[in-house]
Amino acid sequence: MASRVVITGLGVVSPIGIGVSTFWKSAMAGQSGISTITSFDPFPMDGYRSKVAGQIRNFSAEQHIGSSHGDRVDRYAQFALAASREALADSGMEMEKESPHRVGVIVGAGMGGMVMGEREITQLYLHQKPHRVHPNFIPVITLNSASGIVAMATGAKGPNLTISTACSSSAHALGQAWHCIRTGQADAVIVVGADASITPLVFAGFCSLRALSSKFNEQPERASRPFDRDRDGFVMGEGAGSLIVESLAHAKKRKARVYAELAGYAATSEAYHMVIPREDGEEVATTMKLALKAADVSPSEVDYINAHATSTNIGDAVESKAIRALFKNRADKIAISATKSLVGHTLGAAGAIGAIATTLAIHTGQIHPTANYDDPDPDCRLGGLSRDPQEKKIRAALLNAFGFGSNNAAVVLKRFRA
Amino acid sequence: MADRAIVDKIIQALAEYLKRDASTIKAAHHLRDDLGLDSMAVIELLYKIEETFDLQIPDQDLVGLATVGSVASYVEGRLAPAKPTAKKTANPATAKSTKKRKA
Repeated sequence: MASRVVITGLGVVSPIGIGVSTFWKSAMAGQSGISTITSFDPFPMDGYRSKVAGQIRNFSAEQHIGSSHGDRVDRYAQFALAASREALADSGMEMEKESPHRVGVIVGAGMGGMVMGEREITQLYLHQKPHRVHPNFIPVITLNSASGIVAMATGAKGPNLTISTACSSSAHALGQAWHCIRTGQADAVIVVGADASITPLVFAGFCSLRALSSKFNEQPERASRPFDRDRDGFVMGEGAGSLIVESLAHAKKRKARVYAELAGYAATSEAYHMVIPREDGEEVATTMKLALKAADVSPSEVDYINAHATSTNIGDAVESKAIRALFKNRADKIAISATKSLVGHTLGAAGAIGAIATTLAIHTGQIHPTANYDDPDPDCRLGGLSRDPQEKKIRAALLNAFGFGSNNAAVVLKRFRA
Repeated sequence: MADRAIVDKIIQALAEYLKRDASTIKAAHHLRDDLGLDSMAVIELLYKIEETFDLQIPDQDLVGLATVGSVASYVEGRLAPAKPTAKKTANPATAKSTKKRKA
């Protein structure tokens, strides 16, 4: 029989706080982490249509990582390292007591090491001096640099994988960790989602895609507004989230505190368009349905949905339509919140940060507000959305994550019962 | 009707993008319904038009750029700012066609 899988540790680096306690306090207060990008030093923001992002301003590699491991990796991997260290400490799992090949690392990252990547490419094209390309360029931009550095820092020698499916990356990382433990490949997996690509080129690319909010450049805290009538695109964010997931037997053996059960997962493709979702929402509904089936959870048990909800016109409308199609007349009774309203869209980190909010909602019975949900859009009106905090005993919850490349993920978390 | 030279340039850009004969594209053609452009294709077309006319088109102005003619009128307005722009005659019903993102 497949192992049950539980979540026992959490760690986060986010625009509303470094560390889970600060993050959760800010989240419950509905505090926005979105601020103005003052410049892409050394050049100004004049040519950018959007000028706001969920930036992390007080991260110090020395303070938050405190070792040489951080020196040779890009900002996103430093975030990954800081978040996974917190999660591991929170779980109480001591690596020296573990069989190292039974602990894996699975990281979700959409963009990877773009800080150094952009800098080195620019220097090469400007100065045409190939011998001046930094010797760490390749290891840093290789997309598994974060999963590598987390393993090196923790000594986890089990499966070491990186999943890159754009904005759904770390929801899949969590789902693959579930599979990994259920099938006996590992006792525990350090799951991480991380991205830090508020960089001149990536940001310009998202501007050119017309994907970012540009209407609230003067009021950054109002820019990310999922499901609100005034939303006009997503707001880029950066950060990392980490969850320690392990088999129930392993958690019991070491008398670990269990936050929630990781109960099921589904991965699908819409096989439709690189950036546009199917407007009827059928594929999103199917993904949620398959995840619930995998978890052996009935739709009637779902009390909370952490929505993907990026604050784009079409994305939020499609997700709402899918929720209504799947849950029918219960749709308005399910509490829903959008973590991106607070931290922006952290791309590869979004699934993990959303999963942390979901885990804490199950564990504490508190659901964070959806910031800026001031004027409900009739195209995506759902009764369980609120700009205020909500209290609810949650039996089961869904985490949605969708990505460019026609990619969908849904993860089911449950209140833990021994 | 916008200046013929501007309309022709836009039709030329569209013809290159769609790989079809420019003579088959008319000013009255709707970008989505007649020419089959999805929202991403509209954005790619506008990117090309920004380059052709050395313009930056703000996101807010995309509303109403639904037909070849409305794009041309908009461009004409932007090139001669004293004149009224297409934005003022925009058709709100077409707004959705340029605002689709999954992310």
